[in-house]
Amino acid sequence: MPEVADRAGIALGARGREARVRLGLAPRAGALARWLAWFAVTQPLGAIGAVIVLALVVTAILAPQLAPHGAKDAAFAPYLSPSAEFPMGTDNIGRDVLSRVIWGARLSLYVGLVSVAFGITLGALWGVVAAYFGGPADSVSQRLVDMLMALPPIILALSLMAALGQSVNNVIIALALLLIPTAARTLRSVALSIKETPYVEAARASGCSHWRVIFLHVLPNTFATYVVLFTVNIAYAIVVEAALSFLGLGAPPDEPSWGGMLTAGTQAMETAPWMIFFPGLAISLTVFGLNLLGDAIRDLTDPRLRGGLG
Amino acid sequence: MRKYIARRLLLFIPTLLGASILIFVLLRLVPGDIAEILVYQSGTEQSAVQEKQIQEIRQEFGLDRPIAVQYVVWLGNALRGDFGYSYTQRRPVSEIVAERFPRSMELAILTLVVAVVWAIPLGVVSAARQNTWVDYVVRLVSISGLSLPIFFTGVLILYGLVRFFQWLPPLEFVAFTVDPMENLKQFVWPTLAQAYYISAPITRLTRSQMLEVIRQDYIRTARAKGLGNRSVVYHHALRNSLLPVVTFLGWWGGRLLGGIVIMEIIFAIPGMGTALVQAVNYRDYPTVQALVFVMSLIFLALNLIVDLLYAWLDPRIRYA
Repeated sequence: MPEVADRAGIALGARGREARVRLGLAPRAGALARWLAWFAVTQPLGAIGAVIVLALVVTAILAPQLAPHGAKDAAFAPYLSPSAEFPMGTDNIGRDVLSRVIWGARLSLYVGLVSVAFGITLGALWGVVAAYFGGPADSVSQRLVDMLMALPPIILALSLMAALGQSVNNVIIALALLLIPTAARTLRSVALSIKETPYVEAARASGCSHWRVIFLHVLPNTFATYVVLFTVNIAYAIVVEAALSFLGLGAPPDEPSWGGMLTAGTQAMETAPWMIFFPGLAISLTVFGLNLLGDAIRDLTDPRLRGGLG
Repeated sequence: MRKYIARRLLLFIPTLLGASILIFVLLRLVPGDIAEILVYQSGTEQSAVQEKQIQEIRQEFGLDRPIAVQYVVWLGNALRGDFGYSYTQRRPVSEIVAERFPRSMELAILTLVVAVVWAIPLGVVSAARQNTWVDYVVRLVSISGLSLPIFFTGVLILYGLVRFFQWLPPLEFVAFTVDPMENLKQFVWPTLAQAYYISAPITRLTRSQMLEVIRQDYIRTARAKGLGNRSVVYHHALRNSLLPVVTFLGWWGGRLLGGIVIMEIIFAIPGMGTALVQAVNYRDYPTVQALVFVMSLIFLALNLIVDLLYAWLDPRIRYA
């Protein structure tokens, strides 16, 4: 019988189990601090990424406490340059840029997390089920994935936004739809190999139903890939959201989207360059942190994924 | 090989058709159609007269027919090169596409050439001198390239040009055939901004592939034969490292197209991207459909070429 530590490892698959052991995720409480220290030493860039991401998360959660003003309060003189009162100046209609950047962290993270959670999860289910049953259903589903992927991502997102209309929730729907085919394709290929393993055969032989095998044996073993896809795509989703808002087709203009703030800034960049610098820096730093952390997670969970398409 | 090509070509057409159906249906889910936009523009109250006007416009554009019929009509015409009439520009969409297509393609090709020319050597140098300061600088540059969103780089460059050189995006677009120098001047900055973004992953991929290949047995054999470092790196290792880079170029074709939309908007290049954003804003269905169709066609063709190239370069794919 597998031991407790091993049972936890099962969720990550065979390779994941090894990673789990290396990660030091044994069910011992004191191990966490040692693991963190070990992580910082072996993955210094990843640790920097983790700190940046942590700062982002804290900013997003504490936005109401941290932001001196509301994101939509147009209560000040427009185009005030950065000063003690307004560290990042004010924008074209007199809103505090610092407050908008802080609230923007919340918006970005919200959009990124929710869209990726929906997109990757639905895509994963789709891919795993298609791979498991195979046959004509799988072929049809593959062709559907091909069709979705035949549309260049930003172009697909643009068309979706045209169809759905401008709102934060519609951005999330568009992003999720964008991620589904990628996740479906990746998870399908992983599930195909898992399907052929002896333990799946054994589960079938001992009388498990197809759905039981899928949810208890195949799906849990795709977890490592799922985690990697998840982390890598959050940065991507945040950038695409900003790009859509930058093009004026994402979040409505009064929402504190970093991309939308950049657009407003380009229209006044000679008088108020701070309107482009600060939101731009916020996006760049966020993506930088997420990239570093994503790379580290990828290295830890599966060395074979290293140097892939990152 | 012939069988492989045939199979890929057979998949190409249904995929393209499927994508066009998808976009067609999507655009018809739009809550307010062009008829409503045109009629309600004035912002007055809804009235029976307006309702009638809406019906008339819908009839004129064929929007009152079932979606399936609309699609078949559209496809039939599209196959003959007729993408219908633009609702807003009042001229054939095919004219718009013909006018905008070469501009966007020029930007795409320039970007790819510049990116490849500087990214691959950087990746090779970085791998050949792993863990030296050269390597660290290259890695830092490429990870920053990945983190700076393309629209931010573009806006920063534009800001620098406006602030320090009083340069403004020209109002009139000059075609390459009319005045090559003037034309290239307009393309330099968007090309560099996008090439910086696209080259980052290419550098990283080249580097990691080189590092992997350098550890292979045949490289050790080559060294054992007494070949010099230069010959081993450029002759044996580089060739085999470039395979995944080729696939990658096809894979990132979609982001390249997306980037072109953004670059065109920032640097005021009247290409397909600006036309698309405009058409989406005005819900100009025929224009959006045609542009998305052409872009998907380019994207799919790029992927097809890359796959065939890959199969040609790597016999293992061909016979699998």
